Amino acid sequence: MNTATALSFTTPALLDQLAQLNAELLDQLDFGVIGFDAETNVCRYNRTESEAAGLTPPRVLGQPLFTNVAPCLNNFMVAQRFEDAEDGNTALDETIDYVLTLRMRPIKVKLRMLAEPGSAVRYVLVQRRL
Amino acid sequence: MTDPLNLQAFGEEANARLAVEHEALMQFLYLAPVGLVQTGIDGEILMINPISAQLLMPLARDGNLVNLFEALEGVAPELRHLCAQFTRPNGMVCDGLQIHLNHPGYASGGALRPRRSPQVLSLSLLKLDDARLMAVLSDVSEQVRRERQLRQNDAWLNALLTSITDYALVGLDRQGRVCEWNETIGRVTGHGEAVVGSSYAVFYPPDAITAEQVHDRLREADQNGWNLDEGARLRADGSQFWASAMISPVPDRDLEPADPDAPAYCMVLRDISDKRDAIETRRKSAFCDHLTGVANRRAFFEAAELELQRNRRTPRPTALILIDADHFKRINDHHGHPGGDAVLRQLGLVLTATFRQVDVVARVGGEEFAVLLPSSTLDGAAAVAERLRQVVQTQVVAFEGEQIAFTVSAGVAASDGGDLDLDMLMKRADQALYAAKSGGRNRIECWTPTLSEQAERSPQPRDEAQDAP
Repeated sequence: MNTATALSFTTPALLDQLAQLNAELLDQLDFGVIGFDAETNVCRYNRTESEAAGLTPPRVLGQPLFTNVAPCLNNFMVAQRFEDAEDGNTALDETIDYVLTLRMRPIKVKLRMLAEPGSAVRYVLVQRRL
Repeated sequence: MTDPLNLQAFGEEANARLAVEHEALMQFLYLAPVGLVQTGIDGEILMINPISAQLLMPLARDGNLVNLFEALEGVAPELRHLCAQFTRPNGMVCDGLQIHLNHPGYASGGALRPRRSPQVLSLSLLKLDDARLMAVLSDVSEQVRRERQLRQNDAWLNALLTSITDYALVGLDRQGRVCEWNETIGRVTGHGEAVVGSSYAVFYPPDAITAEQVHDRLREADQNGWNLDEGARLRADGSQFWASAMISPVPDRDLEPADPDAPAYCMVLRDISDKRDAIETRRKSAFCDHLTGVANRRAFFEAAELELQRNRRTPRPTALILIDADHFKRINDHHGHPGGDAVLRQLGLVLTATFRQVDVVARVGGEEFAVLLPSSTLDGAAAVAERLRQVVQTQVVAFEGEQIAFTVSAGVAASDGGDLDLDMLMKRADQALYAAKSGGRNRIECWTPTLSEQAERSPQPRDEAQDAP
Protein backbone atom coordinates (compact mmCIF):
# COMPACT_ATOMS: atom_id res chain seq x y z
CA MET A 1 0.00 0.00 0.00
CA ASN A 2 1.60 3.21 -1.06
CA THR A 3 1.18 6.57 0.64
CA ALA A 4 -1.03 8.02 -2.04
CA THR A 5 -3.81 5.50 -1.95
CA ALA A 6 -3.89 5.71 1.84
CA LEU A 7 -5.07 9.30 1.51
CA SER A 8 -8.74 10.07 1.04
CA PHE A 9 -10.76 13.26 0.61
CA THR A 10 -11.56 13.27 4.30
CA THR A 11 -8.14 12.40 5.74
CA PRO A 12 -7.42 14.75 8.65
CA ALA A 13 -4.46 17.14 8.50
CA LEU A 14 -4.24 16.57 4.78
CA LEU A 15 -2.36 19.72 3.79
CA ASP A 16 1.07 18.62 5.05
CA GLN A 17 0.66 15.18 3.51
CA LEU A 18 -0.29 16.55 0.10
CA ALA A 19 2.80 18.74 0.20
CA GLN A 20 4.88 15.56 0.54
CA LEU A 21 3.49 13.95 -2.61
CA ASN A 22 5.23 14.27 -5.95
CA ALA A 23 3.22 14.83 -9.12
CA GLU A 24 3.02 11.15 -9.92
CA LEU A 25 1.56 10.22 -6.55
CA LEU A 26 -0.82 13.16 -6.67
CA ASP A 27 -2.16 11.77 -9.94
CA GLN A 28 -3.08 8.52 -8.22
CA LEU A 29 -5.52 10.17 -5.83
CA ASP A 30 -9.21 9.53 -6.56
CA PHE A 31 -10.22 13.14 -5.81
CA GLY A 32 -9.37 16.33 -7.65
CA VAL A 33 -6.48 18.40 -6.35
CA ILE A 34 -5.80 21.99 -7.26
CA GLY A 35 -2.88 23.63 -5.47
CA PHE A 36 -2.17 27.34 -5.79
CA ASP A 37 0.60 29.61 -4.57
CA ALA A 38 0.69 32.95 -2.77
CA GLU A 39 -0.24 34.78 -5.99
CA THR A 40 -3.18 32.36 -6.44
CA ASN A 41 -1.46 30.88 -9.53
CA VAL A 42 -2.14 27.18 -9.97
CA CYS A 43 1.01 25.13 -9.22
CA ARG A 44 -0.45 21.63 -8.70
CA TYR A 45 -3.16 20.02 -10.78
CA ASN A 46 -3.73 16.29 -10.61
CA ARG A 47 -5.05 13.85 -13.19
CA THR A 48 -8.45 13.30 -11.56
CA GLU A 49 -9.19 17.01 -11.72
CA SER A 50 -7.73 17.34 -15.20
CA GLU A 51 -9.90 14.56 -16.59
CA ALA A 52 -13.06 15.80 -14.90
CA ALA A 53 -12.61 19.32 -16.24
CA GLY A 54 -11.39 18.24 -19.65
CA LEU A 55 -8.33 20.47 -19.42
CA THR A 56 -4.70 19.31 -19.70
CA PRO A 57 -2.26 20.63 -17.08
CA PRO A 58 -0.41 22.95 -19.52
CA ARG A 59 -3.60 24.99 -19.97
CA VAL A 60 -3.95 25.45 -16.25
CA LEU A 61 -0.54 25.48 -14.53
CA GLY A 62 0.73 28.98 -13.81
CA GLN A 63 -2.68 30.54 -14.40
CA PRO A 64 -4.48 32.51 -11.67
CA LEU A 65 -7.01 30.13 -10.14
CA PHE A 66 -9.97 32.36 -9.43
CA THR A 67 -9.98 34.27 -12.71
CA ASN A 68 -8.47 31.99 -15.36
CA VAL A 69 -9.04 28.45 -14.14
CA ALA A 70 -12.08 28.24 -11.90
CA PRO A 71 -13.99 31.52 -12.04
CA CYS A 72 -16.93 29.64 -10.55
CA LEU A 73 -15.07 29.69 -7.22
CA ASN A 74 -14.55 33.43 -7.28
CA ASN A 75 -17.18 34.39 -4.72
CA PHE A 76 -17.56 34.74 -0.99
CA MET A 77 -18.14 31.02 -0.54
CA VAL A 78 -14.68 30.01 -1.72
CA ALA A 79 -12.26 32.74 -2.80
CA GLN A 80 -13.11 34.96 0.09
CA ARG A 81 -12.62 32.15 2.59
CA PHE A 82 -9.00 31.89 1.47
CA GLU A 83 -8.58 35.65 1.62
CA ASP A 84 -10.07 35.85 5.08
CA ALA A 85 -7.80 33.07 6.31
CA GLU A 86 -4.81 34.87 4.84
CA ASP A 87 -5.81 38.22 6.33
CA GLY A 88 -6.53 36.68 9.72
CA ASN A 89 -3.39 34.53 9.60
CA THR A 90 -5.51 31.49 10.49
CA ALA A 91 -5.72 27.94 9.23
CA LEU A 92 -8.54 26.92 6.91
CA ASP A 93 -9.86 23.38 6.60
CA GLU A 94 -13.50 23.38 5.62
CA THR A 95 -15.70 21.29 3.39
CA ILE A 96 -18.78 22.64 1.62
CA ASP A 97 -21.32 21.39 -0.88
CA TYR A 98 -20.85 23.07 -4.22
CA VAL A 99 -21.66 22.74 -7.88
CA LEU A 100 -18.89 22.79 -10.44
CA THR A 101 -19.52 23.33 -14.11
CA LEU A 102 -17.30 20.56 -15.42
CA ARG A 103 -17.56 20.34 -19.20
CA MET A 104 -20.47 22.80 -18.88
CA ARG A 105 -22.52 20.30 -16.87
CA PRO A 106 -23.57 21.20 -13.34
CA ILE A 107 -21.79 18.61 -11.20
CA LYS A 108 -22.54 18.33 -7.50
CA VAL A 109 -19.32 18.15 -5.55
CA LYS A 110 -17.86 18.55 -2.12
CA LEU A 111 -15.14 21.15 -1.94
CA ARG A 112 -12.48 21.01 0.75
CA MET A 113 -10.50 24.19 1.29
CA LEU A 114 -7.07 23.89 2.86
CA ALA A 115 -4.70 26.66 3.93
CA GLU A 116 -2.32 27.27 6.78
CA PRO A 117 -0.41 30.35 7.81
CA GLY A 118 2.95 30.25 6.07
CA SER A 119 2.15 27.29 3.83
CA ALA A 120 3.58 27.81 0.35
CA VAL A 121 0.68 26.02 -1.35
CA ARG A 122 -3.05 26.18 -0.60
CA TYR A 123 -5.46 23.57 -1.91
CA VAL A 124 -8.96 23.15 -3.21
CA LEU A 125 -9.96 19.47 -3.20
CA VAL A 126 -12.90 18.22 -5.23
CA GLN A 127 -14.97 15.10 -4.73
CA ARG A 128 -18.16 14.20 -6.57
CA ARG A 129 -21.30 13.89 -4.56
CA LEU A 130 -23.73 11.13 -5.40
CA MET B 1 -4.33 1.13 -52.87
CA THR B 2 -4.86 2.07 -49.22
CA ASP B 3 -2.60 1.06 -46.45
CA PRO B 4 -4.70 0.19 -43.35
CA LEU B 5 -1.84 1.33 -41.07
CA ASN B 6 -1.73 4.75 -42.71
CA LEU B 7 -5.49 5.04 -42.43
CA GLN B 8 -5.30 4.32 -38.75
CA ALA B 9 -2.53 6.87 -38.26
CA PHE B 10 -4.59 9.38 -40.17
CA GLY B 11 -7.60 8.72 -37.94
CA GLU B 12 -5.53 9.12 -34.78
CA GLU B 13 -4.10 12.36 -36.01
CA ALA B 14 -7.56 13.71 -36.80
CA ASN B 15 -8.80 12.64 -33.38
CA ALA B 16 -5.86 14.35 -31.69
CA ARG B 17 -6.58 17.53 -33.62
CA LEU B 18 -10.23 17.38 -32.61
CA ALA B 19 -9.28 16.77 -28.99
CA VAL B 20 -7.07 19.87 -28.94
CA GLU B 21 -9.78 21.92 -30.56
CA HIS B 22 -12.36 20.58 -28.12
CA GLU B 23 -10.19 21.48 -25.17
CA ALA B 24 -9.65 24.99 -26.51
CA LEU B 25 -13.39 25.48 -26.99
CA MET B 26 -14.04 24.15 -23.52
CA GLN B 27 -11.57 26.57 -22.01
CA PHE B 28 -13.09 29.37 -24.04
CA LEU B 29 -16.42 28.65 -22.37
CA TYR B 30 -14.82 28.17 -18.94
CA LEU B 31 -13.24 31.61 -19.19
CA ALA B 32 -16.07 33.60 -20.78
CA PRO B 33 -16.51 36.51 -18.33
CA VAL B 34 -20.27 36.26 -18.51
CA GLY B 35 -22.69 33.66 -17.26
CA LEU B 36 -24.18 31.32 -19.87
CA VAL B 37 -26.84 28.75 -19.05
CA GLN B 38 -28.93 26.49 -21.21
CA THR B 39 -32.07 25.14 -19.56
CA GLY B 40 -35.15 23.17 -20.36
CA ILE B 41 -38.37 25.14 -20.76
CA ASP B 42 -39.06 24.52 -17.04
CA GLY B 43 -35.68 26.00 -16.04
CA GLU B 44 -33.86 22.73 -15.50
CA ILE B 45 -30.17 23.37 -16.07
CA LEU B 46 -28.71 21.44 -19.01
CA MET B 47 -25.45 23.28 -19.56
CA ILE B 48 -23.81 25.93 -17.47
CA ASN B 49 -20.52 27.78 -17.47
CA PRO B 50 -18.41 28.73 -14.43
CA ILE B 51 -19.40 32.41 -14.12
CA SER B 52 -23.02 31.27 -13.82
CA ALA B 53 -22.04 29.04 -10.93
CA GLN B 54 -20.04 31.86 -9.38
CA LEU B 55 -23.11 34.13 -9.50
CA LEU B 56 -25.79 31.55 -8.70
CA MET B 57 -24.19 29.37 -6.04
CA PRO B 58 -24.47 32.03 -3.31
CA LEU B 59 -28.20 32.20 -4.13
CA ALA B 60 -28.83 28.47 -4.20
CA ARG B 61 -30.29 27.55 -0.86
CA ASP B 62 -29.53 23.86 -0.92
CA GLY B 63 -26.04 24.00 -2.39
CA ASN B 64 -27.30 22.60 -5.66
CA LEU B 65 -27.81 24.04 -9.10
CA VAL B 66 -30.51 21.98 -10.70
CA ASN B 67 -33.02 24.53 -11.85
CA LEU B 68 -32.35 28.14 -12.86
CA PHE B 69 -35.79 29.37 -11.79
CA GLU B 70 -35.37 27.72 -8.40
CA ALA B 71 -31.89 29.18 -7.93
CA LEU B 72 -33.31 32.66 -8.62
CA GLU B 73 -36.58 32.03 -6.78
CA GLY B 74 -35.66 34.23 -3.81
CA VAL B 75 -34.62 37.23 -5.92
CA ALA B 76 -36.64 36.90 -9.12
CA PRO B 77 -39.78 34.91 -8.33
CA GLU B 78 -41.48 36.16 -11.49
CA LEU B 79 -39.24 34.24 -13.92
CA ARG B 80 -41.30 31.08 -14.18
CA HIS B 81 -44.41 33.15 -14.75
CA LEU B 82 -42.62 35.31 -17.31
CA CYS B 83 -41.68 32.26 -19.35
CA ALA B 84 -45.11 30.70 -19.03
CA GLN B 85 -46.68 33.89 -20.37
CA PHE B 86 -44.33 33.99 -23.31
CA THR B 87 -46.42 32.29 -25.96
CA ARG B 88 -44.36 32.92 -29.08
CA PRO B 89 -42.41 29.85 -30.33
CA ASN B 90 -39.10 31.63 -29.80
CA GLY B 91 -37.61 35.03 -28.94
CA MET B 92 -36.35 37.17 -26.06
CA VAL B 93 -38.34 36.52 -22.91
CA CYS B 94 -36.49 39.27 -21.08
CA ASP B 95 -33.55 41.42 -22.06
CA GLY B 96 -31.25 42.80 -19.39
CA LEU B 97 -33.71 42.28 -16.56
CA GLN B 98 -32.12 43.73 -13.46
CA ILE B 99 -32.24 41.49 -10.41
CA HIS B 100 -31.45 43.16 -7.11
CA LEU B 101 -29.91 40.76 -4.65
CA ASN B 102 -30.09 42.61 -1.39
CA HIS B 103 -32.92 40.52 -0.08
CA PRO B 104 -32.75 39.38 3.55
CA GLY B 105 -32.06 35.74 2.74
CA TYR B 106 -29.00 36.56 0.70
CA ALA B 107 -25.56 36.30 2.25
CA SER B 108 -26.84 34.07 4.95
CA GLY B 109 -23.26 32.98 5.54
CA GLY B 110 -22.30 35.98 7.63
CA ALA B 111 -23.51 39.11 9.29
CA LEU B 112 -21.41 41.32 7.09
CA ARG B 113 -22.27 41.81 3.45
CA PRO B 114 -19.54 39.83 1.75
CA ARG B 115 -17.08 41.82 -0.30
CA ARG B 116 -17.32 39.58 -3.31
CA SER B 117 -21.03 39.44 -3.71
CA PRO B 118 -22.71 41.28 -6.51
CA GLN B 119 -25.65 43.51 -5.69
CA VAL B 120 -27.35 43.53 -9.04
CA LEU B 121 -27.46 40.83 -11.72
CA SER B 122 -28.59 41.31 -15.25
CA LEU B 123 -30.50 38.44 -16.82
CA SER B 124 -31.46 37.92 -20.43
CA LEU B 125 -33.56 34.91 -21.38
CA LEU B 126 -33.88 33.69 -24.92
CA LYS B 127 -36.44 31.06 -25.78
CA LEU B 128 -34.88 28.83 -28.43
CA ASP B 129 -37.88 26.58 -28.99
CA ASP B 130 -40.56 24.78 -26.97
CA ALA B 131 -37.94 22.78 -25.11
CA ARG B 132 -34.98 25.08 -24.52
CA LEU B 133 -33.99 28.43 -23.05
CA MET B 134 -30.64 30.23 -23.14
CA ALA B 135 -29.79 32.59 -20.29
CA VAL B 136 -27.09 35.24 -20.08
CA LEU B 137 -26.20 36.37 -16.57
CA SER B 138 -23.83 39.10 -15.55
CA ASP B 139 -22.90 41.13 -12.53
CA VAL B 140 -23.90 44.71 -13.32
CA SER B 141 -23.49 46.10 -9.80
CA GLU B 142 -20.81 48.53 -10.94
CA GLN B 143 -22.78 49.83 -13.92
CA VAL B 144 -25.85 50.27 -11.78
CA ARG B 145 -23.80 52.14 -9.20
CA ARG B 146 -22.38 54.43 -11.90
CA GLU B 147 -25.79 55.03 -13.40
CA ARG B 148 -27.14 55.93 -10.01
CA GLN B 149 -24.29 58.38 -9.57
CA LEU B 150 -25.03 59.92 -12.96
CA ARG B 151 -28.70 60.24 -12.14
CA GLN B 152 -27.71 61.93 -8.94
CA ASN B 153 -25.52 64.35 -10.87
CA ASP B 154 -28.44 65.00 -13.17
CA ALA B 155 -30.64 65.66 -10.19
CA TRP B 156 -28.11 68.11 -8.81
CA LEU B 157 -27.91 69.87 -12.13
CA ASN B 158 -31.67 69.98 -12.49
CA ALA B 159 -32.02 71.36 -9.01
CA LEU B 160 -29.48 74.04 -9.85
CA LEU B 161 -30.86 74.85 -13.24
CA THR B 162 -34.50 75.05 -12.34
CA SER B 163 -33.86 77.33 -9.40
CA ILE B 164 -31.55 79.66 -11.29
CA THR B 165 -33.24 81.73 -13.93
CA ASP B 166 -30.35 83.54 -15.49
CA TYR B 167 -28.43 80.75 -17.20
CA ALA B 168 -28.88 79.64 -20.78
CA LEU B 169 -27.31 76.31 -21.74
CA VAL B 170 -26.50 76.26 -25.41
CA GLY B 171 -25.10 73.28 -27.30
CA LEU B 172 -22.94 74.35 -30.23
CA ASP B 173 -21.76 72.25 -33.17
CA ARG B 174 -18.22 72.33 -34.52
CA GLN B 175 -18.95 75.53 -36.44
CA GLY B 176 -20.43 77.25 -33.40
CA ARG B 177 -24.03 76.86 -34.56
CA VAL B 178 -26.79 76.31 -32.01
CA CYS B 179 -27.63 72.58 -32.07
CA GLU B 180 -30.79 72.41 -30.02
CA TRP B 181 -33.26 74.73 -28.44
CA ASN B 182 -34.16 74.39 -24.79
CA GLU B 183 -36.12 76.35 -22.24
CA THR B 184 -33.10 78.05 -20.75
CA ILE B 185 -32.31 79.61 -24.11
CA GLY B 186 -35.85 80.88 -24.35
CA ARG B 187 -35.77 82.22 -20.82
CA VAL B 188 -32.52 84.13 -21.04
CA THR B 189 -32.45 85.27 -24.66
CA GLY B 190 -36.09 85.13 -25.71
CA HIS B 191 -35.13 83.13 -28.80
CA GLY B 192 -37.44 80.37 -30.00
CA GLU B 193 -36.57 77.16 -31.80
CA ALA B 194 -35.83 79.11 -34.96
CA VAL B 195 -32.47 79.99 -33.41
CA VAL B 196 -31.26 76.42 -34.05
CA GLY B 197 -28.71 76.47 -36.83
CA SER B 198 -27.66 80.07 -36.23
CA SER B 199 -24.11 80.89 -35.22
CA TYR B 200 -23.80 81.85 -31.57
CA ALA B 201 -22.96 85.31 -32.94
CA VAL B 202 -26.76 85.73 -32.99
CA PHE B 203 -26.52 86.49 -29.25
CA TYR B 204 -24.10 89.37 -29.85
CA PRO B 205 -25.20 92.90 -30.72
CA PRO B 206 -24.55 93.80 -34.37
CA ASP B 207 -20.85 94.38 -35.05
CA ALA B 208 -19.81 93.02 -31.65
CA ILE B 209 -18.15 89.89 -33.04
CA THR B 210 -16.69 88.95 -36.42
CA ALA B 211 -17.11 85.60 -38.11
CA GLU B 212 -13.41 84.97 -37.52
CA GLN B 213 -13.76 85.70 -33.81
CA VAL B 214 -16.62 83.21 -33.59
CA HIS B 215 -14.08 80.57 -34.63
CA ASP B 216 -11.28 82.08 -32.56
CA ARG B 217 -13.25 81.51 -29.38
CA LEU B 218 -13.94 77.90 -30.32
CA ARG B 219 -10.24 77.33 -31.06
CA GLU B 220 -9.31 78.92 -27.73
CA ALA B 221 -11.80 76.64 -25.97
CA ASP B 222 -10.15 73.68 -27.74
CA GLN B 223 -6.72 74.76 -26.61
CA ASN B 224 -7.40 75.93 -23.07
CA GLY B 225 -10.43 73.84 -22.21
CA TRP B 226 -12.60 76.95 -22.02
CA ASN B 227 -13.14 80.44 -23.31
CA LEU B 228 -14.72 83.16 -21.24
CA ASP B 229 -16.17 86.33 -22.66
CA GLU B 230 -18.02 89.07 -20.90
CA GLY B 231 -20.00 91.83 -22.53
CA ALA B 232 -23.24 93.03 -24.01
CA ARG B 233 -25.59 90.41 -25.48
CA LEU B 234 -28.72 90.69 -27.53
CA ARG B 235 -32.14 89.24 -26.83
CA ALA B 236 -34.46 88.19 -29.62
CA ASP B 237 -36.49 91.38 -29.14
CA GLY B 238 -33.40 93.54 -29.72
CA SER B 239 -32.93 94.55 -26.07
CA GLN B 240 -29.50 94.04 -24.56
CA PHE B 241 -28.23 92.52 -21.36
CA TRP B 242 -24.82 92.15 -19.81
CA ALA B 243 -23.56 88.59 -19.93
CA SER B 244 -20.72 86.30 -19.11
CA ALA B 245 -20.35 83.47 -21.63
CA MET B 246 -18.27 80.36 -21.07
CA ILE B 247 -17.60 78.01 -23.96
CA SER B 248 -16.09 74.60 -23.29
CA PRO B 249 -15.54 71.58 -25.55
CA VAL B 250 -17.80 68.59 -25.00
CA PRO B 251 -15.81 65.64 -23.61
CA ASP B 252 -15.58 62.56 -25.82
CA ARG B 253 -17.02 64.39 -28.81
CA ASP B 254 -14.33 62.83 -30.99
CA LEU B 255 -15.92 59.45 -30.35
CA GLU B 256 -18.66 60.42 -32.79
CA PRO B 257 -16.80 62.20 -35.54
CA ALA B 258 -19.37 60.96 -38.04
CA ASP B 259 -22.14 63.19 -36.77
CA PRO B 260 -21.39 66.81 -37.71
CA ASP B 261 -24.56 67.98 -35.97
CA ALA B 262 -23.68 66.57 -32.57
CA PRO B 263 -22.88 69.17 -29.93
CA ALA B 264 -19.16 69.87 -29.88
CA TYR B 265 -19.22 72.73 -27.38
CA CYS B 266 -21.31 73.81 -24.44
CA MET B 267 -21.94 77.48 -23.96
CA VAL B 268 -23.22 78.73 -20.64
CA LEU B 269 -24.63 82.19 -21.08
CA ARG B 270 -25.28 83.97 -17.84
CA ASP B 271 -27.16 87.20 -17.38
CA ILE B 272 -25.06 89.31 -15.02
CA SER B 273 -26.77 92.63 -15.69
CA ASP B 274 -27.23 93.22 -11.98
CA LYS B 275 -23.52 92.87 -11.41
CA ARG B 276 -22.63 94.97 -14.40
CA ASP B 277 -22.03 98.21 -12.54
CA ALA B 278 -19.51 96.66 -10.18
CA ILE B 279 -17.81 94.80 -13.01
CA GLU B 280 -17.75 97.84 -15.24
CA THR B 281 -16.28 100.01 -12.50
CA ARG B 282 -13.52 97.51 -11.96
CA ARG B 283 -12.94 97.09 -15.66
CA LYS B 284 -12.88 100.81 -16.30
CA SER B 285 -10.34 101.51 -13.62
CA ALA B 286 -8.01 98.98 -15.17
CA PHE B 287 -8.67 99.29 -18.87
CA CYS B 288 -10.30 102.64 -19.59
CA ASP B 289 -8.97 106.09 -20.12
CA HIS B 290 -10.51 108.03 -17.27
CA LEU B 291 -11.01 111.20 -19.33
CA THR B 292 -12.65 109.90 -22.48
CA GLY B 293 -13.99 106.50 -21.43
CA VAL B 294 -12.37 104.70 -24.36
CA ALA B 295 -9.76 101.99 -23.81
CA ASN B 296 -6.39 102.96 -22.39
CA ARG B 297 -2.98 102.01 -23.79
CA ARG B 298 -2.82 98.85 -21.71
CA ALA B 299 -6.19 97.62 -22.95
CA PHE B 300 -5.27 98.54 -26.51
CA PHE B 301 -2.01 96.62 -26.56
CA GLU B 302 -3.53 93.62 -24.81
CA ALA B 303 -6.33 93.51 -27.35
CA ALA B 304 -3.87 94.01 -30.20
CA GLU B 305 -1.69 91.19 -28.88
CA LEU B 306 -4.67 88.83 -28.71
CA GLU B 307 -5.74 89.76 -32.24
CA LEU B 308 -2.16 89.15 -33.33
CA GLN B 309 -2.19 85.62 -31.87
CA ARG B 310 -5.48 84.85 -33.55
CA ASN B 311 -4.13 86.19 -36.80
CA ARG B 312 -1.17 83.82 -36.67
CA ARG B 313 -3.52 80.87 -36.33
CA THR B 314 -5.97 82.04 -38.97
CA PRO B 315 -4.60 84.87 -41.10
CA ARG B 316 -7.08 87.62 -41.95
CA PRO B 317 -6.91 91.32 -42.82
CA THR B 318 -6.50 93.70 -39.90
CA ALA B 319 -6.46 97.50 -40.01
CA LEU B 320 -5.14 100.17 -37.70
CA ILE B 321 -6.09 103.85 -37.69
CA LEU B 322 -4.17 106.52 -35.80
CA ILE B 323 -6.22 109.67 -35.23
CA ASP B 324 -4.94 112.98 -34.01
CA ALA B 325 -6.87 116.12 -33.05
CA ASP B 326 -5.58 118.92 -35.28
CA HIS B 327 -3.96 122.00 -33.72
CA PHE B 328 -4.65 120.69 -30.26
CA LYS B 329 -1.95 122.87 -28.71
CA ARG B 330 -3.80 125.89 -30.02
CA ILE B 331 -7.09 124.69 -28.46
CA ASN B 332 -5.36 124.21 -25.14
CA ASP B 333 -3.69 127.61 -25.36
CA HIS B 334 -6.91 129.34 -26.25
CA HIS B 335 -9.45 127.57 -24.04
CA GLY B 336 -7.20 126.27 -21.31
CA HIS B 337 -6.75 122.57 -20.45
CA PRO B 338 -10.38 122.09 -19.38
CA GLY B 339 -11.38 123.18 -22.89
CA GLY B 340 -8.92 120.73 -24.39
CA ASP B 341 -10.32 118.01 -22.16
CA ALA B 342 -13.84 118.78 -23.38
CA VAL B 343 -12.66 118.36 -26.97
CA LEU B 344 -11.04 115.02 -26.18
CA ARG B 345 -14.19 113.80 -24.41
CA GLN B 346 -16.27 114.75 -27.41
CA LEU B 347 -13.82 113.00 -29.75
CA GLY B 348 -14.04 109.90 -27.56
CA LEU B 349 -17.83 109.91 -27.89
CA VAL B 350 -17.74 110.32 -31.67
CA LEU B 351 -15.13 107.56 -31.99
CA THR B 352 -17.23 105.13 -29.93
CA ALA B 353 -20.33 105.95 -31.95
CA THR B 354 -18.56 105.63 -35.31
CA PHE B 355 -16.73 102.35 -34.96
CA ARG B 356 -18.08 98.85 -34.53
CA GLN B 357 -18.25 97.28 -31.08
CA VAL B 358 -15.66 94.79 -32.17
CA ASP B 359 -13.16 97.54 -32.98
CA VAL B 360 -10.84 98.57 -30.18
CA VAL B 361 -10.86 102.33 -29.71
CA ALA B 362 -8.14 103.61 -27.39
CA ARG B 363 -6.49 106.82 -26.33
CA VAL B 364 -2.82 106.12 -26.80
CA GLY B 365 -1.37 109.59 -26.28
CA GLY B 366 -2.33 113.15 -25.28
CA GLU B 367 -4.59 113.88 -28.24
CA GLU B 368 -3.81 110.73 -30.18
CA PHE B 369 -6.24 107.86 -30.55
CA ALA B 370 -5.80 104.46 -32.12
CA VAL B 371 -8.43 102.11 -33.48
CA LEU B 372 -7.76 98.45 -34.18
CA LEU B 373 -10.20 96.98 -36.70
CA PRO B 374 -10.27 93.17 -36.78
CA SER B 375 -11.13 91.61 -40.13
CA SER B 376 -10.95 94.96 -41.95
CA THR B 377 -9.19 95.93 -45.14
CA LEU B 378 -7.35 99.17 -45.82
CA ASP B 379 -10.19 100.52 -47.95
CA GLY B 380 -12.85 99.58 -45.41
CA ALA B 381 -10.95 101.23 -42.56
CA ALA B 382 -10.27 104.33 -44.66
CA ALA B 383 -13.97 104.70 -45.41
CA VAL B 384 -14.88 104.63 -41.71
CA ALA B 385 -12.08 107.06 -40.91
CA GLU B 386 -13.41 109.43 -43.55
CA ARG B 387 -16.87 109.20 -42.01
CA LEU B 388 -15.35 110.08 -38.65
CA ARG B 389 -13.51 113.06 -40.11
CA GLN B 390 -16.75 114.41 -41.59
CA VAL B 391 -18.73 113.99 -38.37
CA VAL B 392 -16.07 115.74 -36.31
CA GLN B 393 -15.89 118.60 -38.79
CA THR B 394 -19.61 119.29 -38.57
CA GLN B 395 -19.82 119.26 -34.75
CA VAL B 396 -18.86 121.86 -32.20
CA VAL B 397 -18.05 121.40 -28.53
CA ALA B 398 -19.94 123.64 -26.12
CA PHE B 399 -17.57 124.79 -23.42
CA GLU B 400 -18.24 127.57 -20.89
CA GLY B 401 -20.48 129.46 -23.26
CA GLU B 402 -18.11 129.10 -26.17
CA GLN B 403 -18.26 126.86 -29.20
CA ILE B 404 -15.08 124.98 -29.98
CA ALA B 405 -14.78 123.61 -33.49
CA PHE B 406 -12.00 121.16 -34.28
CA THR B 407 -10.92 118.66 -36.92
CA VAL B 408 -8.97 115.43 -36.98
CA SER B 409 -6.34 113.86 -39.21
CA ALA B 410 -5.94 110.14 -39.53
CA GLY B 411 -3.45 107.65 -40.90
CA VAL B 412 -4.61 104.21 -41.97
CA ALA B 413 -2.54 101.06 -42.39
CA ALA B 414 -3.58 97.45 -42.85
CA SER B 415 -2.16 93.98 -43.05
CA ASP B 416 -3.69 91.26 -45.19
CA GLY B 417 -2.82 88.76 -42.50
CA GLY B 418 0.01 86.27 -42.35
CA ASP B 419 2.63 88.94 -41.69
CA LEU B 420 0.85 91.02 -39.09
CA ASP B 421 3.41 92.84 -37.03
CA LEU B 422 1.95 95.33 -34.59
CA ASP B 423 5.06 97.52 -34.52
CA MET B 424 5.12 97.65 -38.31
CA LEU B 425 1.42 98.46 -38.48
CA MET B 426 1.79 101.22 -35.89
CA LYS B 427 4.78 102.65 -37.75
CA ARG B 428 2.95 102.69 -41.09
CA ALA B 429 -0.20 104.24 -39.65
CA ASP B 430 2.05 106.84 -38.06
CA GLN B 431 3.72 107.61 -41.39
CA ALA B 432 0.29 107.94 -43.00
CA LEU B 433 -0.84 110.24 -40.17
CA TYR B 434 2.24 112.38 -40.74
CA ALA B 435 1.38 112.57 -44.42
CA ALA B 436 -2.18 113.68 -43.54
CA LYS B 437 -0.80 116.35 -41.23
CA SER B 438 1.73 117.68 -43.70
CA GLY B 439 -0.88 117.45 -46.48
CA GLY B 440 -2.96 120.14 -44.74
CA ARG B 441 -4.76 118.32 -41.86
CA ASN B 442 -8.49 117.49 -41.62
CA ARG B 443 -7.80 114.61 -43.95
CA ILE B 444 -7.26 110.85 -44.13
CA GLU B 445 -4.16 109.23 -45.60
CA CYS B 446 -3.56 105.58 -46.28
CA TRP B 447 -0.11 104.13 -46.00
CA THR B 448 1.74 103.38 -49.25
CA PRO B 449 5.29 102.07 -49.72
CA THR B 450 6.28 105.54 -50.93
CA LEU B 451 5.55 106.94 -47.46
CA SER B 452 8.11 104.59 -45.93
CA GLU B 453 10.75 105.70 -48.45
CA GLN B 454 10.02 109.34 -47.64
CA ALA B 455 10.21 108.63 -43.94
CA GLU B 456 13.61 107.04 -44.35
CA ARG B 457 14.91 110.10 -46.19
CA SER B 458 13.66 112.59 -43.59
CA PRO B 459 12.86 111.29 -40.10
CA GLN B 460 9.64 112.83 -38.83
CA PRO B 461 9.67 114.90 -35.71
CA ARG B 462 6.38 114.11 -33.96
CA ASP B 463 5.81 116.99 -31.65
CA GLU B 464 3.69 120.05 -31.21
CA ALA B 465 6.06 122.03 -33.44
CA GLN B 466 4.40 120.44 -36.47
CA ASP B 467 1.08 121.58 -35.23
CA ALA B 468 2.18 125.17 -34.80
CA PRO B 469 0.53 127.54 -37.23
